[in-house]
Amino acid sequence: MDNEIHSLLANIWFLIIGLMLFLYVILDGFDLGVGILFLFTKDEKQRAIMMMSLESIWDANETWLVLLGGSLFGAFPLVFAIMLQALYIPVMVMLFALIFRGVAFEFRHYARNKAPWNLAFGCSSLLASLAQGIAFGGLISGLGITESNYQGNVWEWFTPFSALVALGVATGYTLLGAAYLIIKTEGAIQRKSIVQAYIAAILEIMLMMTIVIWASRFNPYFAARWADKETGNYLNLFLVLAFFAFIMLMWALWRGFELRTFFWSVIIFLASFTAVTIGYYPYMVPASITLLHAASSSKTLIFMLAGIGLLIPVMLVYSGYQYLVFRGKVHLDEHTN
Amino acid sequence: MTILQDPVLLSRLQFAVTAMFHILWPLTTVGISLILVVFEGLWLKTGDVDHYLHARFWAKLFVLNFSVGIISGLPLEFEFGTNWSRFSMMTGEFFGNILGYEGAMAFMLEAGFLGIMLFGWLRVPPTIHLLATGMVTLGASLSVFWILVANSWMQTPAGIHLENNRVVVDSYFDAIFNKNMPWGVLHTWFACLTTSLFVIGGLSAWYILKNRNTDFFLKSFKLALIGAIFVVPIQLYLGDASGRHVFVNQPAKGAAIEAHWTTNQEGKGAEWNLLMWPNENDQKNDWAITLPNVLSVLATGNLHGQVQGLTSFPQADQPPAIALIFYSFRIMVVIGMAFLGLMLWTLFAWLRGQLTPTSIGKHRLLLYAWIASIPLGYLATECGWIVREVGRQPWVIYGLLRTRDAASTLPLSVVATSLVTFVVIYSILFILFLMFAARIISKGPDLSLAPPSRR
Repeated sequence: MDNEIHSLLANIWFLIIGLMLFLYVILDGFDLGVGILFLFTKDEKQRAIMMMSLESIWDANETWLVLLGGSLFGAFPLVFAIMLQALYIPVMVMLFALIFRGVAFEFRHYARNKAPWNLAFGCSSLLASLAQGIAFGGLISGLGITESNYQGNVWEWFTPFSALVALGVATGYTLLGAAYLIIKTEGAIQRKSIVQAYIAAILEIMLMMTIVIWASRFNPYFAARWADKETGNYLNLFLVLAFFAFIMLMWALWRGFELRTFFWSVIIFLASFTAVTIGYYPYMVPASITLLHAASSSKTLIFMLAGIGLLIPVMLVYSGYQYLVFRGKVHLDEHTN
Repeated sequence: MTILQDPVLLSRLQFAVTAMFHILWPLTTVGISLILVVFEGLWLKTGDVDHYLHARFWAKLFVLNFSVGIISGLPLEFEFGTNWSRFSMMTGEFFGNILGYEGAMAFMLEAGFLGIMLFGWLRVPPTIHLLATGMVTLGASLSVFWILVANSWMQTPAGIHLENNRVVVDSYFDAIFNKNMPWGVLHTWFACLTTSLFVIGGLSAWYILKNRNTDFFLKSFKLALIGAIFVVPIQLYLGDASGRHVFVNQPAKGAAIEAHWTTNQEGKGAEWNLLMWPNENDQKNDWAITLPNVLSVLATGNLHGQVQGLTSFPQADQPPAIALIFYSFRIMVVIGMAFLGLMLWTLFAWLRGQLTPTSIGKHRLLLYAWIASIPLGYLATECGWIVREVGRQPWVIYGLLRTRDAASTLPLSVVATSLVTFVVIYSILFILFLMFAARIISKGPDLSLAPPSRR
């Protein structure tokens, strides 16, 4: 009985962590994506509009990462510790990039010469996305960890596979960024974002297919899960859903639907994210640390559920309210007051 | 240098650099957000447009400060995993849990209302805006609470036992309300208020001295003074009480703060070192200027109270860098006294009716003193943090886990690279912040800003 309760709690926390990660990836994803698109924007006025579309929410988006980190630390300390140590280099690169990005964001506003800040903002957004992607790619290929002890090779995450995943993540963020700009802008910049969304979406679906095929060939655990009849069916279902979302996205772009473009981009992420989770469940670090192995005691998980889990709906309400307050197209003249 | 060839030491340096840089920003985020609530509330209550303009002006510095705080704080949480993975594995059940609480209750709240607070003036009614500012303030103060809960538990761990080298929580209440918690939380929170009041007061003094909008800035100057009248004495009391608490619960730290080597014999008071230079090898001070019995009085309230000396601990359990701890503590105390003096001096001038637009100009020295006090709160806090953290060594969790046993297994070159990168990036960040803050300050407030309707 105790074991069952513990297993239930651990699974609930696995779900919550997954939700936080998903929200972070979507929210900071479009945020970083807009940053990447900065590199492809030459017009200063357009850049100002892009910045303004983010100014009221970038901090809230990034804070999901802080919440995710703390929750993972509390609920699955072993994963937190081993993963971050093994991913030292990409995590540090991501942190440095996020620092630079935040600085560029704030200081650009006050700077007279905006050019260096524009470049810093775009490059650091790209770098942070790639670092997150390569860390994720390294994690799902197992980090060379056996039996919850880490041997200390700090380059274990660096493989052709993880590099491919990094490209996939950065492209996906770019897609989200373009989809977000379609909602927040109009005129020339919106037309440009539509073209960019097309390109990013097509690149993304190709990268995803390559990643899935690669993983099924070279990752024995993932391949076995796919070969398994029941899990295999679920996996196929979500991969089909991802492809369906891609078709719907193309259609939404074609018809010029603004919200739907963003919605279907999110579904692509959700479907592939779920597929990866199913493909490796119950492992958190494949194939050495399971979620049960890493979970804190029931007492801690319950205490965290009371103080964090129950607050998630509240967080979603006030975060949503902030988005609601700033809904609609961005207008440069709003700051006259 | 051979000591720099130790990856654990580099990890310690890196954490010290990132934490000590980060702490500069929340200090004023916490305090200034509270001051913004006061100005905004006063505006809504009295209708005085100056209060609205104050809220808008100080918010400009606030946002710059806030952003640097957010981005410089991000690495800290991750460093527990990257550089201190053995600490994280052992303490996750409690420490990680508390960091999660901080994220959920403090940071999310702050971030969820920050956009409205900064950019929502025309999009929400003033009362909702005040609510948003209030939530940002609450979030900032809650983050002080939770992070100091976590840190104080490292000073006086309670409510847990170890199982297979992992912390298991017996009582969350005992662990959260550990002995050091009330002092750690309150002393830090009041440090935020004190620093912010002297920053706002000092900047206001600068404008008054420059004869720029004297009327306008006298309001914020007086507000800072009124705040200081309440906050400074409380902070001095809290400092004194935390000091006595240290001698009870962390005697080795207490002895290090005072460079007190040998326990005084019964019936004889412990002498207090005003100044000294320690000799760790010989386990004594090379020289010292001492006052008899004072340490017994300070630590125990009794003329002959016994105060444990450093030599009553094995050398492996003594804090390192006695001189650093000793002098950091003294700098902090002197700054606290200076704040008290400046507050009383200004209060005296006010009581004599000297704080009016026409007569304040004559008090140039007073105004200069306020300007000079701007960096002092920061300095005192850094010194306090050094005493708190270096004084806890060689333990990362006092009496439970040594710092050396808490670190990740990492190659030297990797830690050295990240450490150097942090130093470089944070230095650039610091210089740029000063540049842009100076630009905001020299531009001054926009007094032509029309406030929205109060309804």
